[in-house]
Amino acid sequence: MTGTRAQDIAGPGRVRNMGPTRRRVLGGMAAAAGAAALPGTARAQGRPLSLLTWDAYADPRLLDRWRAATGKDIRYEIHISDPTSVNRLRAGETAVWDFININNPWARKILWPEGLIRDLPMERFAPLYDKMFPKFHLPYKWAMSEDGAHLLGVVQRFETFDFVINSDVISPATAKDEGWNLFNNPDFAGRYGILAYEDWNVMDICMGAGIHPFREKTEADFAAFEKTARQWIGDARLITTDFVQLNLAILNGEIDAYFTGGTYSITSARLEGVTNLYAITPNSGPADGKGGINWIELNSAVANPNGDDTILDFLAWICEPEQAYIVATGNGNLQPVSQMAQPEVMAMFSKEQLDALQWDEFEERIANAVEFDIVPDYDRLYDIYSAAMRARG
Amino acid sequence: MMRARGWLAALPMLTLLAAGFAAPIAIVAVTSLMPPRTFSLTGALALSNYLAAFTEGYWRPLMWSALGALATTAICLVLAWPTANALMRLGGRVATLVAILIALPIFISESVRLFGLSLFLMPGGGILAGTLNELFGIRIGSILNTRLAALIGLVYIHFPFVLFPLMLGLGLVPRDQVEAARDLGASGWQLFREIEAPLAAPGAAIGAMLCFVLALGANAEAAILGGRAVTVATQAIEQRFSYAQDWPQGAALTMLLVLITALVVIPLLRRVDLDRLIGR
Repeated sequence: MTGTRAQDIAGPGRVRNMGPTRRRVLGGMAAAAGAAALPGTARAQGRPLSLLTWDAYADPRLLDRWRAATGKDIRYEIHISDPTSVNRLRAGETAVWDFININNPWARKILWPEGLIRDLPMERFAPLYDKMFPKFHLPYKWAMSEDGAHLLGVVQRFETFDFVINSDVISPATAKDEGWNLFNNPDFAGRYGILAYEDWNVMDICMGAGIHPFREKTEADFAAFEKTARQWIGDARLITTDFVQLNLAILNGEIDAYFTGGTYSITSARLEGVTNLYAITPNSGPADGKGGINWIELNSAVANPNGDDTILDFLAWICEPEQAYIVATGNGNLQPVSQMAQPEVMAMFSKEQLDALQWDEFEERIANAVEFDIVPDYDRLYDIYSAAMRARG
Repeated sequence: MMRARGWLAALPMLTLLAAGFAAPIAIVAVTSLMPPRTFSLTGALALSNYLAAFTEGYWRPLMWSALGALATTAICLVLAWPTANALMRLGGRVATLVAILIALPIFISESVRLFGLSLFLMPGGGILAGTLNELFGIRIGSILNTRLAALIGLVYIHFPFVLFPLMLGLGLVPRDQVEAARDLGASGWQLFREIEAPLAAPGAAIGAMLCFVLALGANAEAAILGGRAVTVATQAIEQRFSYAQDWPQGAALTMLLVLITALVVIPLLRRVDLDRLIGR
């Protein structure tokens, strides 16, 4: 997804829950060290395909299928956050990685202008876009360079990520209507938690303060942001990077809601029958009238000087129905993919899986959300946010 | 000649220490002097990150970490002293078995143990609250997500690091001295203050030092059990390195933590006779 959403650390998308486990980091380091130790030619010929990715693309089923289909090895490292991975490419790791999947704005605004990714051949990849939801049909803004001449990646996972409620306590209809004002209500102090995907928290607090997160801020905006940040962080019952802990806190009645959250953080539990965990995207908000945030991952080919066209094969391969289904259900998580526009892909999902995804409301969620973007003035907002965190307690 | 050969023999270890220990600290130290939110090591040197550490509210995380480490060390010492004494007196298989039971959890991931404790303390369907309610109809609240829960976690995790060095220290106390003091009418407090404490001090000091340093750098307890009721120093450092992408500020906070550690460890190590403690 999700920019921040692995605990397992990005403007958009920094730490996500499935964050880097020690094994994953070591696996990635081993891949990087191994690649660095080989001479250039050997690297190009014998190096595994190297993914800098969110967790869904590290699903063992996907890796095994790739190895079986191509006989080629594959290595990966889970992102800490979108910006962290962008900075790694900037620092010279383009020679290490072949694949990067981060949230939509980075490719168009940073990676392509800075020469960190390569463009994809239109004749091979345009047909894949024809099989996605109409929203993504080319020329889809976030998949194209600013001049519209280059295709920068393949869209796959996308969803909203706003907040989660206990639907036994708060009615979803009320929560959608109240939107972010729910957390502004003093009576709600101590009744909610915060999933510390901190760049997402910054965007949510903007929404709660009545500010468009993706527009330049005024001094009045900064003041409003600080007031809301202090209140929301100070009044939170618990703050954690672990959404399971927050889901448990809801189940035990400690809290009735948490932000940031969405189907990403609750589908596993909903699949187990805990259907009172409910993802909410507000009906309205300060972002062009919208209150939700819709992240869209773009899978891109790193401009690796040692790379070859294997990465293009991989990018096309993950769009095939079987692989798209694995990505959508990767590592125990359920998240919508752009290929669900195809009846063949939809047919692979059970009713339980679609219920867990709150699929009946998916279109409504996307319609009520503004597309993820780089947050202007993020550094200053984050400093205000982290100061509020330090002041807590 | 002998001196030169000694240096030569030490060369591999010195090289390893220089590359694996001194160089990383030097890099962190230089990074801490770079302009905020930069990634180069060649910028103009400045102390602004250290200044910000004192003007931007970082004293609170440093204070919570130091207070937490001090409280943990004190509580662990109070709990470990009678435990160590009891184990020393028990001797034999029982003592070995108890020591193993205390030591075994060290081999299990700290996070796993803390999540276990979290499940135990959870309200409603938690192990403690759920069991009391189910068996006795008693409904209790929970201390989960409070500073107290974080402190309990710190004590739970670091207790063995105090206990075992303390047992080594108490092993240095000659039993005949204890018996002689008793024969001469010494009270339990006098026995502790004038015989045990001075003689076992090296072990207690090593245990306390280990516990303090580890607890100072701990953040899982505040995160998993404390619900981030407070932000500890290592959490604040992680935020600067990750979300804030401000390595120089993170490096400055790291150096301050290293300084606090050094101020505690170096004077203590100068006073403790390690050779005597390990029986050489």
